[in-house]
Amino acid sequence: MRFWPRRKTPRPTPEVILPPEGVPLTLPIAGMGVRMTAQIADLLITLVAAGCILWLLSLLRLTQPQTLVAIGSLLFFLTRVPYYVLTELAWNGQTLGKRLMKIKVVSHDGGSLGTHAIVLRNLMKEAEVFLPGTLVLTLDHSAPVFSLIAFGWVLVAFLIPLFNPHRQRLGDMMAGTHVIHIPQPVLLKDLAREAPPPRAEGRKIIFLAHQLDHYGAFELQTLEGLLRAGERQMTPDGHVRHRDTLAEIIGKIRRKIGYADPVPPADHAAFLKAFYTAQRAHLEQRQLFGDRRADKHHAGSDPAA
Amino acid sequence: MDQTGLMRSARFRAEREADWRLLESLVTEAEQRGLHRMEFSAARDLAASYRRATTSLAIAREISLDRALLEYLEALTARAYLCVHAPQERLGGLIRRFFATSAPQAMRRSSVFVALGFLCMGLGALTGYLLYLENEAWYFVFMPTELAGGRTPEATSGYLRSVIYDNDPDHSGLGAFATFLFSHNTRIAIFIFGLGVFVCAPAAVLTFYNGLGVGAMMALHVDRGLGWDMGGWLSIHGVTELSALCIACGGGLQLGAAILFPGPCSRRDALQRAGRDAVKLALVAALMLVAAALLEGFLRQLVQDMGTRYAIGWGIGLLWLAWFLLGGRARR
Repeated sequence: MRFWPRRKTPRPTPEVILPPEGVPLTLPIAGMGVRMTAQIADLLITLVAAGCILWLLSLLRLTQPQTLVAIGSLLFFLTRVPYYVLTELAWNGQTLGKRLMKIKVVSHDGGSLGTHAIVLRNLMKEAEVFLPGTLVLTLDHSAPVFSLIAFGWVLVAFLIPLFNPHRQRLGDMMAGTHVIHIPQPVLLKDLAREAPPPRAEGRKIIFLAHQLDHYGAFELQTLEGLLRAGERQMTPDGHVRHRDTLAEIIGKIRRKIGYADPVPPADHAAFLKAFYTAQRAHLEQRQLFGDRRADKHHAGSDPAA
Repeated sequence: MDQTGLMRSARFRAEREADWRLLESLVTEAEQRGLHRMEFSAARDLAASYRRATTSLAIAREISLDRALLEYLEALTARAYLCVHAPQERLGGLIRRFFATSAPQAMRRSSVFVALGFLCMGLGALTGYLLYLENEAWYFVFMPTELAGGRTPEATSGYLRSVIYDNDPDHSGLGAFATFLFSHNTRIAIFIFGLGVFVCAPAAVLTFYNGLGVGAMMALHVDRGLGWDMGGWLSIHGVTELSALCIACGGGLQLGAAILFPGPCSRRDALQRAGRDAVKLALVAALMLVAAALLEGFLRQLVQDMGTRYAIGWGIGLLWLAWFLLGGRARR
């Protein structure tokens, strides 16, 4: 039973942000685990810094034992708050921990990350996590109500990102930011540009137009992934399995498109490459004429095609 | 390799690949050395090359089915976008701008909320004062025992006087400063500000409650004929500290009001808009709390004369007021 009607149009995926240039970009959202790891790294750094200053102060005999805890927490606070704000300002939304985990704060609306947003999200971090966190850590059994409230507050602060498609904290929501993984551009070589290896008999493999009408972009890109996987280093066992997969796929393709000529095992790689190139050229040409084929069910879904 | 036999998308890639590689190296350079340390020509090339890559991505999405190419272009453009649209502000300029213009302007813009904060505190103090005069037992309701520090209705007037004019060296200096900053009031200030999001109520209630304590404390001392001495003891840091609480309350109220009355925009947008001034209020309050901690940690023990205490406390209060009222006005 369904209590809510299904959305007509699917939500836009949360990973897309629209820069001022108007071409939407996909920036994968960083999950809670990665962010926690970065946070822990930052905490360690600030703790060590505060510890060093405290040690220096005690060497200079500026502290008394009874105020050591108070001065320590003050130093921790005084190193922590500027640390987050200044590092995020200096490295455009990255603290050292975030640099380590290759994540980054970006502005939600695609503009540049303002100072206001950075200050706001880091100040809210104090009110959201650290202050109630210290309250929980310094549990006082004479006033359990306050500890419970603080604990509930921390729990809610951690739950809010889980129910949010952008994994935003409260401070992120107020500042209009979220955290992303920094994408790593790696340009692989173009499979269609390589000359297909010559066949054993020296004849070219040729596909006819009607033979290329069966598949869509999804199948093409799956085949691309498979061909690229074949170029990686493999164990002998994996190599045998890969060869078996290729043979099976060739059998399926030949049945589907009605390719009558037998393909000897020596020609398997050449056949698949030739098929990939021909299929891609065909699909890209259809796409230029406005006939986008997402997958092999394209013919059934669109009677006009 | 000759390109005549290639399909359109492969030709597209072959023609532009060098440019993408250039952008890749420029982006790496900008990320490692910083945009402001790059040479002019490199920075110019980065911007131009980024815009060409954006166009390439838009075209590739239309004409190419090569997933490797699409993913590469997407990642490259995103990386360059993060680089090109980085804020170009210097830290020194930021701090100067905050003190010279944006903080006083924010204070003036949200003067209504700050006034409401002072009203909450004032009403609380008045209520606490009157309730104490009615029945001394209220004192224990308003003041947490650890905060009162033995200054209860049972204490002798002599003891109360000794607390006001004591110069115990253990309670001054850095230790006192730190203890104070992490005492009750800082925590209260952060809660007052942060909890304002929950439709104003917690911020107003907490400020009122804080006022109750101050009022009851004042009433206790007035009752013993120590009113003016207590006033001096409280003024030297209290003017700054209690104002900081009221300003934090103003910031919290502003956030709560944005949730309650978002006006034409959505609640989330209204919260973001209100946050711009509220954060500045919180920063001002934090600054004032640090100043109050300095006053309490060092000056209160050094200055034992009542008149001087009044003069310093209210003088500093006037300085704050002058900053809020006169700072950041355009010169005519």
